[in-house]
Amino acid sequence: MPQHNESTLAVCERLEADLVLHYYGELEGAAESRIETHLRSCEPCRRYLQEMRSILPLTVQSDEPPQSFWIDYNRELRHKLSEAKQNKFGWRHIPSLFQSWTLPALAAAAVVILALTFTLGRGPWLAPDAPMSEEIFLEVLPLAENLEFYRTMEVLDAMDLLEFMGSQAKSAA
Amino acid sequence: MNPGDEELVGLAQRGDAKAFEELVERYKQKAYRIAFDFARDREEAKDLSQEAFLRVYTHLRSFDGRSSFYTWFYRILVNICLDYRRRKKRASAEEFDEAAERRMESSSLSVPPVAPEQHAIAGQMSRKVGAALEALPAKQRTAFILKNHQGLSIKEIAVTMQTAEGTVKVHLHRAVAALRQRLAEFA
Repeated sequence: MPQHNESTLAVCERLEADLVLHYYGELEGAAESRIETHLRSCEPCRRYLQEMRSILPLTVQSDEPPQSFWIDYNRELRHKLSEAKQNKFGWRHIPSLFQSWTLPALAAAAVVILALTFTLGRGPWLAPDAPMSEEIFLEVLPLAENLEFYRTMEVLDAMDLLEFMGSQAKSAA
Repeated sequence: MNPGDEELVGLAQRGDAKAFEELVERYKQKAYRIAFDFARDREEAKDLSQEAFLRVYTHLRSFDGRSSFYTWFYRILVNICLDYRRRKKRASAEEFDEAAERRMESSSLSVPPVAPEQHAIAGQMSRKVGAALEALPAKQRTAFILKNHQGLSIKEIAVTMQTAEGTVKVHLHRAVAALRQRLAEFA
């Protein structure tokens, strides 16, 4: 259609944007007056405006659904909202754990648990340097040696006692 | 006297389900029409508009009243529609490849049925208009739909699209120029 191509080329480029705004009623004051004055004397711009009036309404495809559509619409939306509400309620419990009183309480409990653990459970947590049997042997060995010493001392004491008793008997005789 | 949107939002934020239902009743048809402008399909438009209400419901507490509820809702809905378009474009690119393969396979076996002339003419315009709108970049299309189909002001579109009014004017002008070129035969 050569006529349309001609109009495309001939339209005043500097006013094209204003023509669009004029079509949609978005021009005011001096800008609106200027475009109206221009349109009175410019055939290509008038044609451009006429083309907009013919073409742009064609792009609107209206749809008027029946009443049954809206009944289904409401039912479906209610169902989706109730599902969303359940999800929302589930997630809401997590932030409630971080309310103002719960954080300090949880922190205090954690400190107490740590303190008790380190105080009462210190022994079992320490890794032994040597195997248990060896450790016992090492602890018992000096005691055993001492025992032998005391035994020796007991024998010596006994010998001293015998000597003392012997000397007493001699002196009595 | 009907309560205002802000009052209903306040009640809904405090858990009043009836107040939220009233907001849905108030905006469901507008929401559906916007979604239909983007999707041009009844079922898709229903899902998209319902998705917008669901998102509003789950984020209702974050609404601080700095903009009107209507603008906030529009923004959510438009973003959902734009996401839908992006997903659809990716899916249609994949479908196009599959369809091309099927056509190549069947072309040697069957001859496509010739549609009646009247039916073809009637459908031609709708297809061309749909294709012309589809071909617009997302922001141009959004500005165009909100202006041409929904009748929002440039200022409202700027708030909805979170951009400057001058940018909206540029998007709108480019969209109209592109559509005029593509649909010149219908003038």
